[in-house]
Amino acid sequence: MSLELVSVSFAWEGAGERARRVALSDASLALEPGRAIALLGPNGAGKSTLLGLASGRLAPISGSALLDGTPLASWDRRALARKLAYLPQVERLPFNYPALDFVLLGRAPHVPALALPAAADYARAKAALEDLGLDALAERPVTELSGGELQLVRLARCLAQGAEYLLLDEPSTMLDPANARRLADALRRLVARGRALLFTTHDAPFAAFAADEAALLKDGSLVALGPAHAVLVPELLEATFGLPFKDASFPTVFHV
Amino acid sequence: MARSALVVTALCAAFALYLLVGRYPRPGLTPPLRFFTDETARRLLVNVRLPRALGATLLGAVLGGAGAAFQSVFGNPLVEPGFLGVSQGAAFGAALALVLGAANPNIVALSAFFFALLALRASLALSKAFRFGGQVLRLVLSGIVVSAFASALLAFVKYAADPLSQLPDITFWTMGGLVAMGWGRLLGAAPVALLSLGGLWLLRWRATVLSLDDEASRALGARPELERGLVIIVATAGVAAMTAVSGIVSWVGLVVPQAARTLVGADARASIPASMAMGAGFVLLCDGCARSLLPGELPLGVPTALFGALSFALLLASRRTAVAR
Repeated sequence: MSLELVSVSFAWEGAGERARRVALSDASLALEPGRAIALLGPNGAGKSTLLGLASGRLAPISGSALLDGTPLASWDRRALARKLAYLPQVERLPFNYPALDFVLLGRAPHVPALALPAAADYARAKAALEDLGLDALAERPVTELSGGELQLVRLARCLAQGAEYLLLDEPSTMLDPANARRLADALRRLVARGRALLFTTHDAPFAAFAADEAALLKDGSLVALGPAHAVLVPELLEATFGLPFKDASFPTVFHV
Repeated sequence: MARSALVVTALCAAFALYLLVGRYPRPGLTPPLRFFTDETARRLLVNVRLPRALGATLLGAVLGGAGAAFQSVFGNPLVEPGFLGVSQGAAFGAALALVLGAANPNIVALSAFFFALLALRASLALSKAFRFGGQVLRLVLSGIVVSAFASALLAFVKYAADPLSQLPDITFWTMGGLVAMGWGRLLGAAPVALLSLGGLWLLRWRATVLSLDDEASRALGARPELERGLVIIVATAGVAAMTAVSGIVSWVGLVVPQAARTLVGADARASIPASMAMGAGFVLLCDGCARSLLPGELPLGVPTALFGALSFALLLASRRTAVAR
């Protein structure tokens, strides 16, 4: 029972005479229920590519991406969506759906074709909102939520999906420290209850708080992978980002 | 729920009113009792007003429902059922048949239906050939191209048409009208229209799922390109069938879904059925005006565009439509 990337590589096909651009090479990583891994690295280091490979949106050019031992590409889409939830960094909101109806869309992989969500689906959507302390927002239009509220409501949609594996692309971007803390608390609770979590972030303190493991990516290679307290240290962060890091830069909001 | 009941009640009232409005025995409302005592009134009701009322209902339901479905699966409140070239294709087909001397209105309708579907097919094929933008943008662009191409062909046919006998027919056709809607034409178009309505009814929650970004709906196990294509074909088939017998009726598919969303919410589970009912009521009302306000018959496209454009402006100004972009 795990999500495994075994020496995966990926390259974007260059158009015309331009050579292929390697986005990720020979990366291996395993994620199990009850564990959380944070992915950090500079822009363009391959974080989103790795998340794309782990969620099955991208297919590796070499190596293999397996969920419960089966290649992601062989999974039926709906079955995969019941098992694994992927949350894009940002999404356009087409209409002013009430938050509850928006979260209900997470039931899509469970609702048979041509059918409507049933009472049980509503119950799951409500439970997901309650889980994140968002009951009060149920009737609010998603277009009127603050950035932090919206991020949590989108996470609630992933929970309504009922997936064991949560793959989040920069969930804490655009959140103020209080909302980032709220999100990190929610993620910790989910992991404690047996969900598996893989997320990208630029926020080392957030990563250290929300994840027990961390991975550093640089120029398409995994340069460090291990317990968060051993990986998110000034020396390794400096080597990865090329900037001086100090422990003091961790805001107190994440000190437990 | 209360609002759905209100919409259905309003539709029934519009339908009943439509059956009473007319110019027999004098302009205004025919007294209902008259249908029991007067043979002429009864024939008028059964052979003229009833099929036309049903035709107006179906036309409005198809245009409204297709508009709501399109706006939902494109996540865009400004697309309408004709935007993939269907309306212009149908107009060209009808004009071509008229110029070639088709006397039978059924041949004109068949030609319109055929060219409407051909335009849809061309738009879908062209959107796949384009190497620019995502699926939604490519469809919008190919719709513009096909519409413009069909408009040019239409203009050419109009140029070749006999200005005294054929041109007025073509012009009237492009402005829409239900004057020729008898039982025969209604029964010819109804099967496709009803199948389309039924299909959209079944797909209505799926349409909400598809309104999300492709990346988000794909993460929920959907196949956005494929499923969007299915919704487009189901919706457009109904529109093409009704347009073939009614001519081009503009604005209904654009403005009715906006009104429906302000009334019952944006979720397509509610907004597609509400748009069908409100579209039907709107076309009944407009056609009632078109055939009774003036001594002659006004093209249906005139009141739908007048009321449609006005209510569109009012809706957008009222800020209750609240779309994100």
